[in-house]
Amino acid sequence: MIFASPWLLLALVALPLLWWLLRVTPPAPRQEVFPAVRLLLGLNATAETPARTPWWLLALRVLAAALVIVGLAQPVLEAGTRLAGNGPMLLVVDDGWASAADWPRRMTAANGAIDRAQRAGREVALLATTANESGAKPQATPPMPAPELRSRLAALRPKSWPVDRTAAAAALDGWKRGGSVVYVADGLTDGAGYDEFAQAMAAIGPVTELRDEVPGAQLLLQPRATADSLVVPVVQAPRPAPTDVAVLAQSGDGRTLARVTATIAPDAAQAEAAIKLPPELRNTLARVVLEGPASAGSVVLLDERWRRRPVGLVAGDETTENTPLTGQLFYLRRALSPYTELRDGDVKTLLSRDLSVLILADHVVPDGPEHDLVAEWVRKGGMLIRFAGPQTAEHPDGLLPVTLLAGDRQLGGAMSWSQPEPLSPFAVGTPFDGLTVPPDVRVSRQVLAEPNAQLAGQTWARLGDGTPLVTQKAVGAGRIVLFHVTPNADWSDLPLSGLFVDMLRRLVALSAGVAGADDPSGPPLAPAEVLDGFGRLGPPPIAATALQPPEVARATASPQHPPGLYGPENGRHALNLAAGLDLPKAAAAVPGASVDPIGGAPAEKALAPWLLGTALVLFAIDLLVSLGLRGLYRGRTVGRAAAMIALLFAVAPAHAQNAVPPGPNPALQTRLAYIVTGDDQIDSISRAGLAGLSDYVNRRSAATLADPAPVTLGEDDLSFYPLIYWPISPDAGAPSAAAVEALNDYMAHGGIVLIDTRDGGGGGGLANGAEEALQTFTKGLTIPQLTPLTTAHVLARAFYLLQDFPGRYEGETVWVQRDQDRTNDSVSPVIIGSNDWASAWAVDAQGRYPYAVIPGGTRQRTMAYRFGVNLVMYALTGNYKGDQVHVPALLERLGQ
Amino acid sequence: MSGADRSASALDGARAARRAETLGARLPPLLVQAERVASTVAQGVHGRRRVGQGDSFWQFRPFLAGDPASRIDWRQSARSDRAYIRETEWEAAQTVCLWRDCGPSMRWKSRGQPVEKVARAELLLLALAALLLRGGERVRLIAPGTRALAGRHALDRLADELPRTGGEEGLPVETDLPRHARVVLFGDLLSPLPEVQVVVGRLAAIPVVGTLLQILDPAEAALPYTGRVKFQGMRIAQEVLIPRVEGVRDAYAQRLAEQQEGLAKICAAAGFGFSVHHTDHPPEAALLSLYTALAPVTGRR
Repeated sequence: MIFASPWLLLALVALPLLWWLLRVTPPAPRQEVFPAVRLLLGLNATAETPARTPWWLLALRVLAAALVIVGLAQPVLEAGTRLAGNGPMLLVVDDGWASAADWPRRMTAANGAIDRAQRAGREVALLATTANESGAKPQATPPMPAPELRSRLAALRPKSWPVDRTAAAAALDGWKRGGSVVYVADGLTDGAGYDEFAQAMAAIGPVTELRDEVPGAQLLLQPRATADSLVVPVVQAPRPAPTDVAVLAQSGDGRTLARVTATIAPDAAQAEAAIKLPPELRNTLARVVLEGPASAGSVVLLDERWRRRPVGLVAGDETTENTPLTGQLFYLRRALSPYTELRDGDVKTLLSRDLSVLILADHVVPDGPEHDLVAEWVRKGGMLIRFAGPQTAEHPDGLLPVTLLAGDRQLGGAMSWSQPEPLSPFAVGTPFDGLTVPPDVRVSRQVLAEPNAQLAGQTWARLGDGTPLVTQKAVGAGRIVLFHVTPNADWSDLPLSGLFVDMLRRLVALSAGVAGADDPSGPPLAPAEVLDGFGRLGPPPIAATALQPPEVARATASPQHPPGLYGPENGRHALNLAAGLDLPKAAAAVPGASVDPIGGAPAEKALAPWLLGTALVLFAIDLLVSLGLRGLYRGRTVGRAAAMIALLFAVAPAHAQNAVPPGPNPALQTRLAYIVTGDDQIDSISRAGLAGLSDYVNRRSAATLADPAPVTLGEDDLSFYPLIYWPISPDAGAPSAAAVEALNDYMAHGGIVLIDTRDGGGGGGLANGAEEALQTFTKGLTIPQLTPLTTAHVLARAFYLLQDFPGRYEGETVWVQRDQDRTNDSVSPVIIGSNDWASAWAVDAQGRYPYAVIPGGTRQRTMAYRFGVNLVMYALTGNYKGDQVHVPALLERLGQ
Repeated sequence: MSGADRSASALDGARAARRAETLGARLPPLLVQAERVASTVAQGVHGRRRVGQGDSFWQFRPFLAGDPASRIDWRQSARSDRAYIRETEWEAAQTVCLWRDCGPSMRWKSRGQPVEKVARAELLLLALAALLLRGGERVRLIAPGTRALAGRHALDRLADELPRTGGEEGLPVETDLPRHARVVLFGDLLSPLPEVQVVVGRLAAIPVVGTLLQILDPAEAALPYTGRVKFQGMRIAQEVLIPRVEGVRDAYAQRLAEQQEGLAKICAAAGFGFSVHHTDHPPEAALLSLYTALAPVTGRR
């Protein structure tokens, strides 16, 4: 640990003085007014008097002061060793592709070196060893103060091309200022010229080399296509321990299609990872990426060459070649068209364009220009697949992998003892390895190869009796494959089976892909998207220039030709870093340099903020304690705050517990209710009646009633409704015990039930037997003693002053509770009548009254409504109006 | 004082009187026991167990020569041969003199207390007055220029008078009290004991008897402060710095107990009653204790 401003520590000497000052100054007393102060006089002499600040508070304050002093002295932890040498410091940074994987670590190390130079007051210069994006050769900056250089260093990015050692050495040779060198190395030689580079560095002054023990850079080479997989080599500088690598196959939109692992053996430079993918997926491959830290070296871009495999089809019998089920090309088309591009035409036409596979179905190629053309194409890498047939059996030509015996062999049939042969399993090492042979595939005719020593090696598939079914021969870069059967079902069941499709796919996958129109003299391909140092595709830098098509595959990555995709949208060519790169080779340390690990020294930490922050916290504690000592805040305040916090936490669960049952909440609005009798007619009258009454009440009074609610006794909660209308229907049946209990509970807690027998006084009404029903229904109800409703009752004057209480019928007695029962504020819990009020109140959708009143008249209707209003007011306000009756008496009693 | 102020203060007085009445409403009308007949005692409702002026029937006695003929009770005389005179019981009212300390030390409440001591004292005074008035007694404030009040509106007048009196500190100096009256003194009674002794002795010499009620704030009773506190008195510039209040709490409690014991002793010697009331206790309790102190004791009859 070092101090940036050590002289400030002198202030620590003053701490004992502070201690003494704090000790002799007692805390200010709290002022209290107290009438009984006379009783307190003289008491302090007897009490113990801690007039001084308690020692722990003193210690707290002195500690805080000490923290402030030490913090202002700016201590720095892990500051590392001092820089060697004097004069300006030259910071040499490798910023090629190999540095990208651990770039942040390198930047931290470089910044650490700058920190040290800054503390030593030395100027710093920077030399990046790779040509920059504009193509400029490596060049050292002039020496400058550390803060300025820091921003330059922050702008430095790893490149996607290799380090230029020669140019860097030249730049070092041009450095004439002496000083010392700090070299952040990627550990690779990166081509020729490393030795000169190292010597140039050593010539300047003492060198500190920051490097890893083994270079960590890994490079993905160009993949190779095999029959069923894509083999990707991974190379690195040899390491003493085995290295596990994982390779991801990614599609154009960045999805990972496959992940394969490989292990690079100790002291080995290379391992191969084989990516096995179905052809459909393989055709969507856009790049292969090394899992781990991203860099340009860990990405291989795949262009059209890896995907497009056009197949040309030529049949011997061109007239019937596409006849369904029997044509020679019928099954081939069906098998290949889903995943390959098929081309038709004669051999010459087909070979005039790029072609990956040429399939000749029993088509004999006679000697001549056509034969030469095909042979030349095969030698250059074409895959020729031939199917046997009567023509081939009769006239074998020169483009066959094996010499055929004349004629064909018939297996089974009326004149033969032999049976059609099944296929034997595919041998390991053939492209068909791993395919399952269906047991029902039989071969009844075939052409036979002339047995010789090479035949076994040339055979990829056999029949059950060992005779070859598929033979092949490599010719130049290409290959000729022969199926000893016809491509239709004439000679075998093979074209009918799924195996045929799989075999053809494997063979097509084995062939070499073709790029777009590779015209050597075509227009140059401009860079479209290029990789940056971290392996991300982006716009090309200014220095990037176009390339001729054939050069793309061979070019070495450089600022002019960064790795990436070149060419137009429909014909991208990939330029990969690995194509023009030597295998990575570990570089020796710079002679005479002191070597430090890159991440070895932990980053230095400034302690000042922490110390000052702690001091601040201590001062805050001191403030609280001082306030507490003076009694300026109370335990109650703390308790209140704690309670508030506890409340905050308690609120959320409380919310969860108050679950409201589903449906509209009946507590939100006042509404009347009627008891559902089960009789649709009666229920609709009740509904319409209460709706009409609610409207009337809303128009005539300050009460606001919502639409009436139907309630089922014993199921619904009745407590939301001030008034419940119960039309007695003889057919409804007596209410259940639960219903009776609910009604009793409702009435006992202030509810009002309006029971309506709707019979207009018995006999004359439309509801016969309601009286008897009323008796049975109300058997369990706690009905109080009843009395006829008179004009003196509150119900007769709750809103309107009423003389009678008509409904649809008039003049019948209405019964209410007899006595003024104090327990329920003299409010009758039950009102029993037979006037069929709901019918009188009912209004239909057109606003008409559907039920005529008896005997009739507008006045009766109005009176019925007025009774309803009084009823609602009675239910809502209780005996309020009853009290109003006594106002004169009350005033008199209160009088003086 | 402007008219508006006067009407406002009258309103306040009426409100205080109502409040005191409701407080006293729960106790039966207080009948102060008048043990001695005093010339100052005006006609009241106390039966004096002897013949005199009054409304209640006391006895019939035979007509004696010299009695005016108009006093003969003819209805009683008609029942026998002799003439009888109807005699009534002498009824008299007691005057109760009330006083409350309204010095600065009374106008104080500790933190968290709802009422000042003086507010409680006035409430109790008015409640007691209401009780007494309902019992037919006469009440007066111990202050210059006051006189005994009785009747229906006496409580309101008392409540009006209350803010105008007072202002004096310590115990009442006026001794111009009717003999054999009853005295009720409300105050915090924190003065030195000799001062109290002098006043009580002077009162007892008139002679009057009565009750002292010490009204204390709970903070004065318990000294709930902690830490280093500088206490300031209210009457004189008294200050005392207590470094650690917790340390002197017991000593303070003992001093307070001594003060109260001394007060009780002084009161007992003069035939006075003494009780203590804290402002955090309900006033009904204090009123009840005053009631029992003033009410006639059945056993002494």
